[in-house]
Amino acid sequence: MRRVAITGFGVVSPIGVGADAFFASLTRGDSGIRRITRFDVSTFEVQLAGEVKEELELPAEVAEVAAHDPKVGFAYEACRQALEQSAVVRLGQESLLHLGTSLEVFDLSKAIHGGKLDFHEVARRCLQGEGPPVQVPLDTAARLISASFGLPEQVLVNCSACAAGAQAIGQGFRAVRSGRVDRAVCGAFDSMINPLGVGGFQLLGALTTDNARGAHACRPFDASRSGTVLGEGAAIAVLEPLEQARAQGRTILAELCGYGSSLDASSLSAPDPEGKGAERAMASALQDAGIDGAAIGHINVHGTGTQLNDEIEAMAIRRLFSATWQRIPISATKSMTGHLIAAAGAVELGACLLAIGRGVLPPNPCLQSVGPGCELDHVTAPGRGFDGEYVLTNSFGFGGQNATLVLRRAMK
Amino acid sequence: MQHDDVAVTAVGLVTPLGLTAQSSLQGWCDGRKAQRRVVAELQGTQLEGFQAGVLDAFDAAARVGNRRMLKFMSFAATLGAAAAHEAMATAAVRKRFDPARVGLFAGTGLAAAGIDEVRPMIERSIEDGRFSCRLLGTEGLAATNPLLSFRILANMPACIISILEGIQGPNLIFTPWEGQTGAALAEAWEAVASGEVDCALAGGADQPAHPATLVFLRRMGMLGPDEYPSPGAGYVVMERASTASRDGIPILARIRAMHVRSVRDGATAAGSDPLSARMGRTFAAAPGILVGLACLGAKVEPRVWGADAQALSFELEAEGQP
Repeated sequence: MRRVAITGFGVVSPIGVGADAFFASLTRGDSGIRRITRFDVSTFEVQLAGEVKEELELPAEVAEVAAHDPKVGFAYEACRQALEQSAVVRLGQESLLHLGTSLEVFDLSKAIHGGKLDFHEVARRCLQGEGPPVQVPLDTAARLISASFGLPEQVLVNCSACAAGAQAIGQGFRAVRSGRVDRAVCGAFDSMINPLGVGGFQLLGALTTDNARGAHACRPFDASRSGTVLGEGAAIAVLEPLEQARAQGRTILAELCGYGSSLDASSLSAPDPEGKGAERAMASALQDAGIDGAAIGHINVHGTGTQLNDEIEAMAIRRLFSATWQRIPISATKSMTGHLIAAAGAVELGACLLAIGRGVLPPNPCLQSVGPGCELDHVTAPGRGFDGEYVLTNSFGFGGQNATLVLRRAMK
Repeated sequence: MQHDDVAVTAVGLVTPLGLTAQSSLQGWCDGRKAQRRVVAELQGTQLEGFQAGVLDAFDAAARVGNRRMLKFMSFAATLGAAAAHEAMATAAVRKRFDPARVGLFAGTGLAAAGIDEVRPMIERSIEDGRFSCRLLGTEGLAATNPLLSFRILANMPACIISILEGIQGPNLIFTPWEGQTGAALAEAWEAVASGEVDCALAGGADQPAHPATLVFLRRMGMLGPDEYPSPGAGYVVMERASTASRDGIPILARIRAMHVRSVRDGATAAGSDPLSARMGRTFAAAPGILVGLACLGAKVEPRVWGADAQALSFELEAEGQP
């Protein structure tokens, strides 16, 4: 089995485009959460989200799609950054491309003609090729990336909700480790910041309506937490065999050394009340990495800011790391980025790279009073220094999918 | 890795040729073709008279067996749950394996909501003849079924299977074309061979005959001029042959190779599905159905690729004859 290095990382997020801007915001505790500007939310109960503010420079064919489905542009830009850092010129038969994402964008306005819902007219126009299609399939970003950067040996599109990013990276890790491919370009992209996305989550009761808190509305583990806040963006990592990367003089951001996934098999809308699925994912990742829980020096949690998720994740961590949990610093970066849904796990891998590469643990700037049952060693503002060896990051998805990654500081 | 020790011990199918594995196999061997019907919603469009495959006799309530869960499920999800349950029950997976050591590897199709499901939301959000976010926030969302999200999120069909069948192990869910479900099958094979899981349920389900989906497929050239879409689902149970032998479970087939690769030459927008001439294009369901039929001994071409230009190819030795 080969060891696996992360040699490139690209990110588009509500707190910055590019690793340097993203890391700087994380370190400062800057939140990207604001009032939604992309559409009129004046009558929505939910009015906050972490929007990507920067204009991206995209090729015309990507920009055309991104005009209707912004997440496709995020994916392209994050991939471009990652490949550039990794000095990859072209993808080919040595490579795997695995991207996670969640839900197609449906433009509801296109269903209305002559002042009413008119499916016949929608169908007629669509079949005549008038205007963009009503839906953009979830493999569109992968198709555009392959067209621009080369066709990999395998192209995968993962739709495991909030676990998709971590799953894509985990599967890519396994493929490189086993020798099935020599390079995995993997990560995730997402944006639910559209009328149907925000409206749908509002109906599910998962989002905070505490709009008055503004930038500090996403409050993981705080006693006053009242729901999560949507974010958007993308993060892509390039994975290669460690020895090959060293031999080629590549920058090694970290070693990826463990991955585990599990299913709650409990409820579609709520986590397993005892956190057993979350615990299984973490335990499986530790076993995969060949380490004991005592080796973990930092955890970037899923930490959504919803009542149940935070309490249950904290419970699972305390149970699995029963001897050391009081000494494992915890970062909950959704407090700044919002919840990027499918892209969350990939973006949070980036926060782990910050911890390892720059020796900084990002704070949870919204944590003022730890909620009952949420007791952990939370990193609060202004953050902390870090020189540990192993880092773990969790992603727990709607529907009961759980995924955990373990990273290791790359030793000289 | 012990790839040569991976066996298929059960198949679950819901296809236009039959509503179970055995009836689908019988339909295939008899040369039957899918029952089709004109898509009423497309009358008055360029696709007037267009026919799609149907599963008239499929009883979702009876096959899923969990009426509370049904309200969360799209039609495709009910097909997947039915096929998955047939495979899981046939191989007695729940009785033989630790649920945390059983993996789920699935493919799902394009997201689609029924016109009647979104009609109240859209009609209540029209202001001055146009869609209004302002009205959506007040009246449109109030008229929307809160469970709509569960029916359109791409991972839900597989998550529902995990709950109904008690599967707690490693998992991957891919979307939306044939190659992605093919990847689910290939990843399951790898997971069993590597020992990551003791048993894997793998396959997919799709409902591309939904009117809006059908229009989209034609617009994008993903449905050829002579092709028609059909709903379907296909799941298989994989485990080590040695485990099956130990437990006295009959082996249907041994998988020798299973790969998904990009199609570099000869790829077309529509892809290539050896089942489509007889049962229509079942898209994300096709690889599970194809592998399932092959495991049951049907003579089928062991290759399928989809609009994503990803091709599943496999080699297996079926133990029995159809």
